[in-house]
Amino acid sequence: MSSAEALGEIETAIFQTAAFGYASAEEMADVFAGRAPGHVYTRLSNPTTLVLERRLTAAEKGVGALATSSGMAAIAATTLGLLRPGDEILAANGIFGGTVSFFRNVLGRLNIRAIFVDGANTTEVEAAVTPKTRALFVETIGNPRMDVPDLPALARLAAANNIPLIVDSTLTTPELVRPGEHGAALVVHSTSKFINGHGTAIGGAVVDTGRFDWSRGPFEDVAALARKAGPYAFLAHLRTVIARDLGGCPAPQSSFLMLQGLDTLSLRMKVHCENGLALAQVLADDPRVAAVGYPGLPSSPHFERVERLFGGRAGAVLSLRLGSLARAFAFINALTNVRRVANLGETRTLVIHPASTIFREYQPEDRLSLGVPDDLVRVSVGLEPLSAILADFQQALASAQKE
Amino acid sequence: MKLIVNGTDVQVTDGINVSQLLVERKVRLPDMVSVELNETVLQRTEFETTQLREGDRVELLYFMGGGRGTHAV
Repeated sequence: MSSAEALGEIETAIFQTAAFGYASAEEMADVFAGRAPGHVYTRLSNPTTLVLERRLTAAEKGVGALATSSGMAAIAATTLGLLRPGDEILAANGIFGGTVSFFRNVLGRLNIRAIFVDGANTTEVEAAVTPKTRALFVETIGNPRMDVPDLPALARLAAANNIPLIVDSTLTTPELVRPGEHGAALVVHSTSKFINGHGTAIGGAVVDTGRFDWSRGPFEDVAALARKAGPYAFLAHLRTVIARDLGGCPAPQSSFLMLQGLDTLSLRMKVHCENGLALAQVLADDPRVAAVGYPGLPSSPHFERVERLFGGRAGAVLSLRLGSLARAFAFINALTNVRRVANLGETRTLVIHPASTIFREYQPEDRLSLGVPDDLVRVSVGLEPLSAILADFQQALASAQKE
Repeated sequence: MKLIVNGTDVQVTDGINVSQLLVERKVRLPDMVSVELNETVLQRTEFETTQLREGDRVELLYFMGGGRGTHAV
């Protein structure tokens, strides 16, 4: 039934099975009816994944969690579980390109309108709220804009309008901030990043923090479910309708890899943050670098929020501008140990040129409004010795000067 | 005392609370269960403090299976 130490195992067992058998038709009917607990089919739930969901719930101090096949699957299930045609979602304009694309191209097809605003400017967010707004969506640190929204202020705005604040905490993880403690209703993660930590699997999750009263919210089906499920109404809605039917379930093996990552998250985030800050400081002082985006620098306009909300730690993702597309490419190509990879949050230091990759499908002026100029390089700082990271950056910057 | 659990009469120790009921009935995955007492959903924090009385109607519901839960829609 439960994978919790059935045979005294220390590591969580991987239940590598598609389905679960029952002794009788009655027992199976009870499980389907919700009168008895049980796993039926791994698309719906799996004992290994359930352990991951419990660990994520505990890490966020939430009421429950649903793990998914990717961060995008978590965002898809969360937004499709809330929004209907004609509704609007207000989103920060510095968020991950994949999320922007989903909001525009998938929600847009369903006549759900995403309105992008400066998420770090609460006044601008407030001015964009309309009677159709049904959710606010921000990232704890916008990727790649590297801005930090004022979570408590946005939570107050959301509460005043009786709508949930959804926070993507992929770049911060529960080690740096628990958004629920600042009033967020739902926290989403791409667990593929720092939680996994080693770049070995794709996964995602949504955690309900318990901060939103679904029985009084504007979502009729969730409010109806709240009469039976209480604070678990939204997760029950996802688990028994939306995520179940979308089908974006995690592989049991992937859930195991996420659990393994969680064991060392605290240790890794400490070094990630130290290396991130040290590299950002060196780059900020280097005349060959036009600009550095890292909210943990005292010169950043977002530094006060990093101190107030994240305990002064700003994670391991930073951006640098090199003055031209040619220099950005020359710099990226000259790196010898740092890898050119469309991921972040791994043990290794990784770089990518967002404008020609993640944001390739957008027009140049559109990219600028999303905080992605042509000369921008995104860096995910790894766990290598700082001296090795700095040496590679120094030689690559020197090489890029020739462009 | 007698309770009605998921529509069936059951005999339990007098004066137990909801947490004790879950143990006494050997309810599996107790951290996944939602408990409804006389048609009111209890918060998890109320399990320890809610004492049961003769004739109470208790519904134990799970939102993890293939269906929506009998009464959940």
